[in-house]
Amino acid sequence: MDEKESKQGRRGFVKKTTALLGAAVLAAPSAKAISLTNPGRESGDARYIGQEGKRFGMVIDLRKCVGCQACVSACKSENKIPKEKFRTYVPEYELGSYPNVHKAFLPQLCNHCAEPSCVSVCPTGATFARKDGIVVVDSEVCWGCGYCINACPYDKRYFNPVTNVADKCTLCAHRIDHGLLPACVESCVGGARISGDLNDPNSAVSKLLSMYPTTVLKPSSGTKPRVFYIALSGEIQGLPYSPKVLDDMARKIDGMTAREWSSKGE
Amino acid sequence: MDFGTLLHTISSITPDRPWGIDIPNYFWFTGSSAAAFIISSFAHVFGMKEYKPIAGFSLLLAFVLLVAAPMNLIDDLRQPGRIMNFFFYGWENFPTSPMKWGVLLLIAYPLLILVEALVLYRPYFGFSKGVVRNKEQQEKDHHLGVLLGAIGIPLALSVHGYTGYILGAVHAIPLFHTPLMPILFLASAMVSGTGLLIILLPIFQKFFTDFKRIDMAMMQRLARLLSWFVVIDLVIRFFWLTFAITFNNEEKYALKLFFGENFWEVLIVDYVICLIVPMIIGFTNYFARSFKWILFGGILSAIGVWIFRWNTVIGGQSIGKTTPFLLEYHPHLTGFDSILSVLANWSLLIALVALVMVIFPWDKEMANYYVTKEER
Repeated sequence: MDEKESKQGRRGFVKKTTALLGAAVLAAPSAKAISLTNPGRESGDARYIGQEGKRFGMVIDLRKCVGCQACVSACKSENKIPKEKFRTYVPEYELGSYPNVHKAFLPQLCNHCAEPSCVSVCPTGATFARKDGIVVVDSEVCWGCGYCINACPYDKRYFNPVTNVADKCTLCAHRIDHGLLPACVESCVGGARISGDLNDPNSAVSKLLSMYPTTVLKPSSGTKPRVFYIALSGEIQGLPYSPKVLDDMARKIDGMTAREWSSKGE
Repeated sequence: MDFGTLLHTISSITPDRPWGIDIPNYFWFTGSSAAAFIISSFAHVFGMKEYKPIAGFSLLLAFVLLVAAPMNLIDDLRQPGRIMNFFFYGWENFPTSPMKWGVLLLIAYPLLILVEALVLYRPYFGFSKGVVRNKEQQEKDHHLGVLLGAIGIPLALSVHGYTGYILGAVHAIPLFHTPLMPILFLASAMVSGTGLLIILLPIFQKFFTDFKRIDMAMMQRLARLLSWFVVIDLVIRFFWLTFAITFNNEEKYALKLFFGENFWEVLIVDYVICLIVPMIIGFTNYFARSFKWILFGGILSAIGVWIFRWNTVIGGQSIGKTTPFLLEYHPHLTGFDSILSVLANWSLLIALVALVMVIFPWDKEMANYYVTKEER
């Protein structure tokens, strides 16, 4: 074989090998493996699709909230939320200045936004909005990059230390799909939390929305939250940046302020 | 809303913050890689002869940095075993998830550098022995190198620009949320990459070549280049911060709080000590005559950009979204996403640098510019 021939032979070999390798790479995961969404949604699993035609949301009537935290504990036990993690919680604020002061409670949960900033940034399609608007995470697909946790303007996502992936409020989708109310709504002693189908004009939430002036948290974030508040004080609507305060005494005693991430306030 | 009229009393929980020390390190690696590639393209694509001697060396450095960089990302994942999900699922989010762009960029870019390096060093490799490459073939290789470099420049800019995009897209975090973030990241990347070259080049020239001489003219050139990159970096930061802190919506309150509390780390350490000092060193003949001062400036700027990445990633996440004041971050010593993982990543980088520099005949190629034929 002269030099030219051997060169062509080598080139041909390289070409063939590359073609074979390329074909193998493309074919190895079967055509179904590469997905625009994720396997659960592709297969049409009812838990992933939700209740088509409905749009779930919540109205929180702050005039009725007494800050008893029943919703927080109901949520924790219903959804088996690990220690120190919360899907919903009720911070307390002291507003005004002495002697004209009052307390405010602000129950918070995932807003199941119409334009969720957490969903659009997900690189694995693990988090998505069901057709009824409930934003959920597929804990089998999520790889735990945390982009959604940073993208949420409301701090309503966390890493679940058991599944080791992003986790969040599901509006108790497992209950809603069986005709039950979310645990926090069910347990609310003052009837401050009302949930239901925003598409149904006769639902309790729709009626409240048409009857009262309502607003949402951080409207400027542009996420179009679907949790509405009645009688929300403008001072706390934007969840403002506040100075060091006395909120961490108990956590300091528990040693929590020395964790990887901790609040600087003391 | 005035501070002091609002007291956040009880049950403020500590919210989760996902990104730890690995992420600033990742940004530093990709940024320095992009910068090393661009500097190598000065000679390869733009034909700037004065950068020819270090073109090959910095190309290899760019490659090594980008091979080591993604390890930081994998370590930061809570479920690193599910990495294939990144490639398989969620493609509908491609237009809106800058992180997803990494699928293409982080594969295409290192491959391209590797091919370019192989083309560049082809005449020096053992396997071309016997097959003497004639002028025509060399010309062909040269054209291929230019073409690969030309494709590589936008790719290098993208591979680092997209990391800035990842942050800039997060409108929930006031410190991240600016359209300037991608170019700000690129500008500071040029600073750290040049700084890294200033540190590594003399070490390699002095100890790992046959000619064993430090090219002082090149060091001065790099120091001057570094100073100009600092100027660009500072100008972009000027526009960013003046708009973000002064002429902004409510985000400005968070930024005022952040910069007020971190005045020393950000303004004094990062801006003055780690940017302005190296800039002065590069621009002043008195300092730029001295090898030690240039090296000092290079080290400062490389560290400074690392601090900037840290201040941005960790600092941004420290700003409370629903909780009062700022959060504090204490990296773990061991385990995932810890100080040890960053040290391990640097060890990997050093090992890879050693390996690649042993495999590739960069010293023989570099010697062409310093040693005459008779000397060899």
